[in-house]
Amino acid sequence: MADTSRVTPLPASVPVLSPVTLLRLVIILTVLAVWEFLSHSGWLYRDVVPSLLAIGRAMFDLLAHGEYYFNLAVTAGEVGAALAIGGSLGLVVGIVLGANRFLSKAFESYLYYLGPTPKIIFFPIMIMWFGVGPGSKIALGTLSCFFPVALSAAAGMRQIDKVLIRVGNSFRASTAQMVFKIYLPAMRHPIINGVRLGLGVALIGTLLAETKLSNKGIGFLIIQAYSIFDMPRMYAMLIVLFVLSIGANSVVGRLGGLDSIKRS
Amino acid sequence: MTSTPHNPANTDILVVDDVVVRFETQEGPVIAVDHVSFGVRQGEFLSVIGPSGCGKSTLFNVIGGLIGHTSGVVSVGGETINSPHQSIGMVFREESTFPWRSVTDNVAFPLELIGMPKAQRIERARHFISLVGLDGFENRYPNELSGGMRQRVSLARTLASEPKILLMDEPFAALDEQTRLLLGDKVLQIQQQLKQTTLLITHNITEAVQMSDRILVMTYRPGKVKRIVDIDLPRPRTSEIVGSEAFGRYVAQIWADLREEASRGMRDEEEHALHHVSTT
Amino acid sequence: MTMTATTPTQRFRLSGALPALTGIGTLVAFFVLMEVFIRSGGLNRFIVPPPSEIIASFPRIIVEEQVLHRFVLTLTECLTAGVMLTVFGVSGGVLMHRFKLLQQACETWIAALASAPVVLCYPLFLVIFGRNAWTIIMMGFVSALPPVILKTLEGISGTRKVLVNVGRSFNLTPTQQFWKILFPAALPTIFVGIRLGLIFALINVVGVEFLINFGGLGQLINELAERYDLAGTYAAICFVVLVSVMFFMILEKAERWLTRAE
Repeated sequence: MADTSRVTPLPASVPVLSPVTLLRLVIILTVLAVWEFLSHSGWLYRDVVPSLLAIGRAMFDLLAHGEYYFNLAVTAGEVGAALAIGGSLGLVVGIVLGANRFLSKAFESYLYYLGPTPKIIFFPIMIMWFGVGPGSKIALGTLSCFFPVALSAAAGMRQIDKVLIRVGNSFRASTAQMVFKIYLPAMRHPIINGVRLGLGVALIGTLLAETKLSNKGIGFLIIQAYSIFDMPRMYAMLIVLFVLSIGANSVVGRLGGLDSIKRS
Repeated sequence: MTSTPHNPANTDILVVDDVVVRFETQEGPVIAVDHVSFGVRQGEFLSVIGPSGCGKSTLFNVIGGLIGHTSGVVSVGGETINSPHQSIGMVFREESTFPWRSVTDNVAFPLELIGMPKAQRIERARHFISLVGLDGFENRYPNELSGGMRQRVSLARTLASEPKILLMDEPFAALDEQTRLLLGDKVLQIQQQLKQTTLLITHNITEAVQMSDRILVMTYRPGKVKRIVDIDLPRPRTSEIVGSEAFGRYVAQIWADLREEASRGMRDEEEHALHHVSTT
Repeated sequence: MTMTATTPTQRFRLSGALPALTGIGTLVAFFVLMEVFIRSGGLNRFIVPPPSEIIASFPRIIVEEQVLHRFVLTLTECLTAGVMLTVFGVSGGVLMHRFKLLQQACETWIAALASAPVVLCYPLFLVIFGRNAWTIIMMGFVSALPPVILKTLEGISGTRKVLVNVGRSFNLTPTQQFWKILFPAALPTIFVGIRLGLIFALINVVGVEFLINFGGLGQLINELAERYDLAGTYAAICFVVLVSVMFFMILEKAERWLTRAE
């Protein structure tokens, strides 16, 4: 894609765009054209496929008003809190389970099997415990992101090359030195990977909770657009949300020096 | 004792004539194989030996038809090779059994390709399984076998296609020394039994001397033919020969040739690494 | 401790079972403590009902709320999504492997989509498909599709080079190369993809049922919560968690069985 931005004149026979870029453009343009055609065809129920112009206008409206940023801040705050609480709990639990074979045998399979269960169904309980405000959303996000972080940290702890630990011991490193100079650096990648997975599920948990019961946040805005049947606005919000979450995910990946959004 | 490296005789079943392989890399072109010529006679066991980086694996891939060459001709029975040829059966260095097939189905694979009926191909496969000494393991899967046994399955699979020439690229490289010696015995025994024309690529001198009628020593990059040595040891051979005096003399002679090349390679790699450090 | 009377092998077995017993013991102890704590008024029983009450409401839920019927409904939705996932996900991955350009163009997009909260589209799907099972099935399908495609692609492209070379050395045609080498080599990874896909599908199917208050087990939780049937809600949640854990375990067993050769 870099070569498209090159301004040096090229001979006419050399294509300016690489085939991949060309194919991407073709796919995007085809999708947009089909979309626009469908929106004008009248074959579909009204407004299921709004015209691109309407979506564009809705997106402009969305981004031009402070209301969106307020709700975005609410959601971001909830997700951040969930990630901080659930992530640090997960990290501690994971490190303990990873370091102790007995505890790992006793408890890790519970985490392993509870990890991939639906978390949103706990929302009624969270409302009873933490109220209808942001508390219940944070709690749900925390519950969601605890499992992947804990499991990754435990696995990361165990997969540290044993010889590194022997090296550390041979230099008579203290426990603190071992943790900060051997264990944590050696576990960096699995931990970051766990945080990435945790961020993803915390985001989903928080947003879904907002769509179920709330009066602020991005999830609330989406369900509000649904209830007044404002489809262009809903599309606009989903697009912005996807862009933001994909961006956040790749930022976390970059921080850990991981290949940003590769398969997990 | 030493024959001239060039002028392949026209009785040769496999002829490598003036082959050059040049790769384009980021650091410019690299000549992996440089004007290599030799022939393999019917029924003969020829080994190609050389230090790492001499292009012997490239040669293996070229003869097998897996990669193209820049110039020169490789021909088998007079037919030029540009793609894998049915007369050549390849055994790879890496573990190459199909994990999803039982031993029998692995060995029957080439028979399946030519459309042999099931009952018949199972019978044929049994024959080759027995040849490599894996009776009783017909229904096992590769993950239940040791590395040496898996390599024997690969060998049986290749033999089942009844190639005119068996082409092997360091087939014992991943095995421990004892397994390697014993498996070498097995290969020798099979080769003598089937009078199988064999071309072995290796970097192991003992292995080469133990098995070969002739050994072709290659130079370090660019890979040229340094010398072809006739191994005049009595057959049938086993690994016991490793202790004999004549054996020791051949090993010493080839090591003398190889040592020069290997140390050249080592120096080159050190310089390369140094260069890399200074540029990054 | 009666350790002195045990033989070495018995002791070995005991030490093998000890962690598992500790795990179960801790769990039981936790529930007993909760029970005592709640009954003594340490926790409001109208927020957290005592475990005994939750257990007691299991039969009631099962009989009165047609749990079996709901379970079958949820499972059907999930498996329908699973069939679609297998068909479209695997063929999508194969297609992308077949046309390298398509892979280069789209793989990052799909990977990006895998990290996006796709399930948030459920209000949209509600508009498109209406308030029926298809919204739930399609949501389960779409949100679980990226991993199936990516795993298929990973499996095929990850075929060890030497196996590809074995195929080439036997002069396989491209079709043979695919069916005899690439596809079987990729199958274990494809199974992983399908297993992940089914798990995501179940999570999202139950989640959407809960959110849109329609269908099987997810709706049950929503209904009981709206009725302020506290013990019932807890019991239903426990039931759904147990179902998903069982589902997960069965899928793992199935995958192990299917790839037993490797």
